[in-house]
Amino acid sequence: MLNELLTRRLLFVGGKGGVGKTTTAAALALVAAERDRRCLLVSTDPAHSLADLFGRPIGHRETALTASLWALEIDPDRQADEHLETVKARMRRLVHPRSFAEIDRQLDLARHAPGTMEAALLERVAEVMALAGDQYDQVIFDTAPTGHTVRLLSLPEVMAAWMDGLLGHRERSARLGSALRNLGGGRVKGDDLSLLESAADHAEGSRDQQLNELLQMRRRKFVRARELLLDANVSAFLLVLNPDRLAVLETIKAHEILTRFSVPVTGLVVNRVLPPDADGAFLDARRRQEAPYLEQIDQIFSRLPRVRVPLLPDEINDMETLRRLGRNIVGDDPVR
Amino acid sequence: MAQKEGRLARLKALLEEFYVSPYRGAIARARREEDDLFMLFVFSELMGVPNPAAYYTLELQPLLLERFHDWHRRQGLEHSPLDGFRCC
Repeated sequence: MLNELLTRRLLFVGGKGGVGKTTTAAALALVAAERDRRCLLVSTDPAHSLADLFGRPIGHRETALTASLWALEIDPDRQADEHLETVKARMRRLVHPRSFAEIDRQLDLARHAPGTMEAALLERVAEVMALAGDQYDQVIFDTAPTGHTVRLLSLPEVMAAWMDGLLGHRERSARLGSALRNLGGGRVKGDDLSLLESAADHAEGSRDQQLNELLQMRRRKFVRARELLLDANVSAFLLVLNPDRLAVLETIKAHEILTRFSVPVTGLVVNRVLPPDADGAFLDARRRQEAPYLEQIDQIFSRLPRVRVPLLPDEINDMETLRRLGRNIVGDDPVR
Repeated sequence: MAQKEGRLARLKALLEEFYVSPYRGAIARARREEDDLFMLFVFSELMGVPNPAAYYTLELQPLLLERFHDWHRRQGLEHSPLDGFRCC
């Protein structure tokens, strides 16, 4: 039913916390790998659980799980540390050694500024997105709960706009600079140009050029990530939910927001549906409760492909069960 | 003849300078304002203005460090607004 999910280069699995995103993402990744597609499974949730699910260490580097499945847990802390170290090293080359300690202090503050983690995460996500279609046939993202993810997906637009603004200023400054040179600026004393034209600031291969290159590079990354994300032939967004009030409400909101951002929502996995043969008065009562939610989901999302996954008697903790779950989601065969 | 040409060239340069220099000053100022605004965006956090791209503009700061002192003086701040960058 959701077979087309596995034809996209990028698949994002999202939803409320605790509905089974990680399990769904991992199950789909195993099916993709089983079909001989080189697949990378990526967790962007700061509270990673891929390693726990597969019962083996994964971490910040791509780790092989099967012959064609790799996994990666993005560590924004580490990403931010590496970024700040690079900036520190560049600063040290430019200032007097007596300022080293002060610069370190300053940058360590930036380390804990709001938004730093998000920005670091986005940077890595953008890089990983670029691997799809090249190093991997498919990259599957096990995303953080909806709010974080929506914010993350809207960031490339905001950031690209910000970089555009900065580049606009650089461009105007460069135009004025060349007008100035045509008027013989910099050759004549007393024009208060000492600051502008000294220190080889505006020459070829100069500071200006480096500034522009950095800004352009950033901009390219964001624009590219956004293009990939919004291309329905490249990306798919799968929402996971449970048949309960809070999960349904959050899914409605998430679907609205994603649609507003033109992110292609491709399907719905209704997870942990009580199977009809589960017996007992208690489960009967629960089943009566979930019935209206199942109906509501079918009504509201009638135009989206949906698949119901039953609540299983056992916890999933082996690859074979996961794989079977995955086949069930894409519509190959039932779980039980 | 050669002497006459030399004198003409000097006169030409002088006249050019006479007409062009006021514009040059204006353009230089416009450009400096443009650059100052750019500095403000990159160092906005220091002035308490939130910068949504702070993490990414941080990498521009090393390249602008040399202009930092003159910039904060022009913004009317006698001393560096930043404890960390004690440039004066």
